[in-house]
Amino acid sequence: MARTDYQSSLEELRDDVLYMSELVAERLRTGLDALERKDERLARELIEGDDEINEMYLELEGDCVDLIALQQPVASDLRFIAASFKIITDLERIGDLAVNLGGYTLDAQRDLFPDVDMQRIGRATLDMLEDAMNAYANEDVDACYAVADRDDEVDAMCEAASELVVRDLIESDYLDENEDESDEELESLMQDVSRLLLTIRDLERVGDHAVNIAARTLYMVENDDELLY
Amino acid sequence: MTENPEQEYAADESTDDPTTDDMLVETDVSESVAASGPTMSANTVVRAENINVWYNDEQALQDISLEIPENQVTAMIGPSGCGKSTFLRCINRMNDLIDAARVEGDLYLRGKNVYDDDVDPVALRRRVGMVFQSPNPFPKSIYDNVAYGLKIQNKKGDYDEIVEESLKRAALWDEVSDRLDESGLELSGGQQQRLCIARAIAPDPEVILMDEPASALDPVATSQIEDLISELAEEYTVVIVTHNMQQAARISNKTAVFLTGGELVEFDDTEKIFENPESQRVEDYITGKFG
Repeated sequence: MARTDYQSSLEELRDDVLYMSELVAERLRTGLDALERKDERLARELIEGDDEINEMYLELEGDCVDLIALQQPVASDLRFIAASFKIITDLERIGDLAVNLGGYTLDAQRDLFPDVDMQRIGRATLDMLEDAMNAYANEDVDACYAVADRDDEVDAMCEAASELVVRDLIESDYLDENEDESDEELESLMQDVSRLLLTIRDLERVGDHAVNIAARTLYMVENDDELLY
Repeated sequence: MTENPEQEYAADESTDDPTTDDMLVETDVSESVAASGPTMSANTVVRAENINVWYNDEQALQDISLEIPENQVTAMIGPSGCGKSTFLRCINRMNDLIDAARVEGDLYLRGKNVYDDDVDPVALRRRVGMVFQSPNPFPKSIYDNVAYGLKIQNKKGDYDEIVEESLKRAALWDEVSDRLDESGLELSGGQQQRLCIARAIAPDPEVILMDEPASALDPVATSQIEDLISELAEEYTVVIVTHNMQQAARISNKTAVFLTGGELVEFDDTEKIFENPESQRVEDYITGKFG
């Protein structure tokens, strides 16, 4: 392959990674909608559509390996491929977390803790993902740092939400009101509480993956691993 | 050269750290190595300062300054005609053999300027061995190919032992130990190149220059030469010119990038050059965007 073809292959990889990120962001958005509206149809679409993301991940992984094996990239090309190779893993994991949101939607039995603003946390992580991918597309170093900075904010929101759930559970009358219920129903209540905490944790992880993407982008652009650890 | 070669060889054997005196026309043990050149980093073997080379009116190298560290592999890369081989040939004054070549600047081997009037180029080349692109064994036996350099220098010593040791260091002994009297020309291309390496290291040089030593070899032979280069660097300082950037990346510790016009654009750790070069011109060259 001539070097012009090689440059085209690099551009293709960049476009494909960005396309994958758009699909993943859309799936995260769908997951949040499904949760918000308790929409079982959306939730099922989300779960059944996960193969598309997984297949795209494997295809792009193969493209990266081919480029490394056949073109022996160096310098900024090497950093771009190495960063892309890691970023698609983060995207695939965010896709999995979106699927989890679908699962929680289907399994939830009752409304719990309406004070926990899951949509606000979800929107914040979605923004982080989109900003991280814009940083990758535009090789924008400042945007990388901005994404990393916002993770603390999301972590704080998640921590506050988890505390709220636990405190409310302890202080509220949920258990007292339901003391006559069977063990099975109590078990069901606890599973709903667990699911709610897992939802918070998963959204917090979306933010972490967005930070990973920003960190890899910073490495790609500046050969700087400051945000990696 | 010393007037008595036997004494010179004995002196070579008596020390692990040959002094610059070995390449003087007349040995002057009173000359201080430190006083004869600028201060060099502790592990610098070769130091070039503002080397300029012309072939007739055409300038082949422009103000090249760099330090080559001891017991490491230093690679020279760059496009054809960039001057990397010319620089290599400055180190052992091979350019002296080209009438049209003119060299200016200073090039120090362990603190002694090899272009000083009192330096004998033949003695210098004993300390700075060279391996060329095409394997060029003599039409002699394998044994005589390796012993050749020792014989013409009238060196004393156990030739059998030196030949065996040199062939072992060149990773060829196991393949030829039972046929040392066969012609070196009977060997495969890769074996011939390792024979040439054995010939280069038999006089126990400090520096080995290699000018595209694997470019005429198949991948298996290339791989053997590359492994050998890494092993040789444990005892010798290796400077290699290669057109194969991946080869430079695989085997060298330092890389010098020469670009058109005989300019040294960047010289740094090989990892740095291939992962994050400072110069955009180097970036463009190694990623294939150049020219």
